[in-house]
Amino acid sequence: MRMLEIADAAKPRLARGVRLQIDSTTGKSVLLFAEGILELNETAQEILTRCDGRTVSEIVLALAEEYDADPMALAADVRETLIDLQRRKLIELA
Amino acid sequence: MTVPRPYALLAELTYRCPLHCPYCSNPVVLKSATAVTAELTTDEWRRVIREAAALGVLQIGFSGGEPLARRDLADLVHAAREANLYSNLITSGIGLDDDRMRALRDAGLDSVQLSFQSDDTDLADEIAGARAHERKLNAAAKIRAAGIPLSLNLVIHRRNIDRLPQMIGLAEMLRAERVELANAQFYGWAFLNRAALLPTREQVVSAREIATTAKARLAGKIDIFYVLPDYYESRPKPCLNGWGQRYLTVNPVGDVLPCPTASSAIPDLHFENVRARALDWIWRESERFNRFRGTEWMPEPCQSCPQKEIDFGGCRCQAALFTGNAANTDPVCTLSPNRAGVDAVLGDLNSSSDHACDWTCRMNPMKLPVSQ
Repeated sequence: MRMLEIADAAKPRLARGVRLQIDSTTGKSVLLFAEGILELNETAQEILTRCDGRTVSEIVLALAEEYDADPMALAADVRETLIDLQRRKLIELA
Repeated sequence: MTVPRPYALLAELTYRCPLHCPYCSNPVVLKSATAVTAELTTDEWRRVIREAAALGVLQIGFSGGEPLARRDLADLVHAAREANLYSNLITSGIGLDDDRMRALRDAGLDSVQLSFQSDDTDLADEIAGARAHERKLNAAAKIRAAGIPLSLNLVIHRRNIDRLPQMIGLAEMLRAERVELANAQFYGWAFLNRAALLPTREQVVSAREIATTAKARLAGKIDIFYVLPDYYESRPKPCLNGWGQRYLTVNPVGDVLPCPTASSAIPDLHFENVRARALDWIWRESERFNRFRGTEWMPEPCQSCPQKEIDFGGCRCQAALFTGNAANTDPVCTLSPNRAGVDAVLGDLNSSSDHACDWTCRMNPMKLPVSQ
């Protein structure tokens, strides 16, 4: 696999044609995209709801503050989740 | 047994289609003379869409035949948007002019899956049985210009599988987001034309390698799905993730099916119709949806198999087509007592270089024979 990288200053956002919405049957967040549905875990949901023009660093800091967590430890999780979503073309980087 | 909720509805709006692809999954024989003429009305489809959303469906695929043959397509896309469904148009692109593209986008269409028969115009038009390729390229440009994500669907078979690299090149050129390289699955017209469509073992091995390499090279740019021809597998595909588990199909006249091919592959199953029953009842209560739901119905070797929750015994349609009984283990499985039937088909093809190449083109549905 080609290695994908995400810079701290990148601004992730949902890719074209991807919708984030609440599944009314379960109350959980899902990503809807061409011929696929991804039920989001809590980490992914927390990250994606903050992909609103903020940079990766800003998202990490916001989450660290919200959950009183170590930003360094959190950064790896955020990056891993974003890379996975980018590989699946569910987010794009501005 | 707890009945699961469905996630996706395939709305087969019509069997009418300007193309004549020999691998079409539409029926070869119609169940009644009205199967083409008595299509659901706009209001009936609106009701189906609302009922599907209430049942838990999150996505709708508008398919056919060619869904653009329905003049009310944009109205139905709008109904799906109102029901908060994600909508995908599964199309040949024929009939997609600027006005219709605009109407579909304004109605809230989320994505388009456009079919191609090949990257090469002459071969593509020969397979489609129509001058279609240039119009498809045109349609792709319109979809791009409308800002709607584009998936390409390329059905792979013996006549085009050697052009896999060029077909992936077509997806790159058209800047598709996704490309599905789907080996023909043998139902409907494809079952009829199997001898001319099934690729050789050598072709399959080479294609798999090409697809895997391209998938890695294009990671993050184009999402590539490669669907194997299951006859060459030793375990069956987890068809539909199990019968009546996640998906349902409503055909042009309102019959509700677990999958698009069940109606023709399993002639003794008579399906319920949305004109007579609520979708909720059909999904939860009808005998047809419950017949192969879960694992209790399974015969041996599935019943005692540790894989039974993984592949669900494979495909009911394939079992019916090979063995005459939809309740049998999918004969693709090497544990099936009927695997010899699949091996005979592969043996015939791979033991000789003299391959059948004639196929029967999909006919205009108005001209199809009607079963008794």
